[in-house]
Amino acid sequence: MGKRTGVLTNDLRGLRAGHGEMTQQELADLVGVTRQTVNAIEGNKYSPSLEVAFRIARVFGVPMERVFGYVEE
Amino acid sequence: MNMSFQEKSLWLVFLSVLAFSAFYFALALPGAGPNVMPGQVALFVAAIVVLVVAQVAGHIVIAITDRRTGTDERDGRIALKGTRNGAYVLATGVFLALCAGLVTEGNFVFTHVLFGSWVLAQLVETGSQLWMYRRGV
Repeated sequence: MGKRTGVLTNDLRGLRAGHGEMTQQELADLVGVTRQTVNAIEGNKYSPSLEVAFRIARVFGVPMERVFGYVEE
Repeated sequence: MNMSFQEKSLWLVFLSVLAFSAFYFALALPGAGPNVMPGQVALFVAAIVVLVVAQVAGHIVIAITDRRTGTDERDGRIALKGTRNGAYVLATGVFLALCAGLVTEGNFVFTHVLFGSWVLAQLVETGSQLWMYRRGV
């Protein structure tokens, strides 16, 4: 069976904008990661662990599906 | 370019190892005999001292100019993958050094293939980490 691949998408930019134009640094401090990691997640260059994904969703007070999506290639 | 403390640190290690190895090999390889000579050992020790001093001083400067030295899971994952890449190169180099030691006379080729492998492994490790910081992991 071939390996199925996909892309993790996210709406971090939109959620930050909807929360008083929260900066990447502010989100990073609330989640407990570096600003560069928030930037990498936002740019789809890094897939966070489940724990960090849950922490991000909790910061915005939304279900994880509202923050992240998965598109099969 | 906005770089994290870890990226700056990696650039420092990458460039200093590159300069150190280029300096050493440029002086040690020409006119080399079958065995390592005392002058080459002294050159190696001097180059190591300069490398360590340069890296310590560089890290002090980076730490002073960038207070955000914390790491997270992404840094850890990048470090692990970079170390794995470097380990492949080092393992291959050790094998090649053993082969070279069997087919060449003296210890010069063996030690320098081994040392060159370590340098290459360091460059692959730090270089691939720098790549992952920019292009994604």
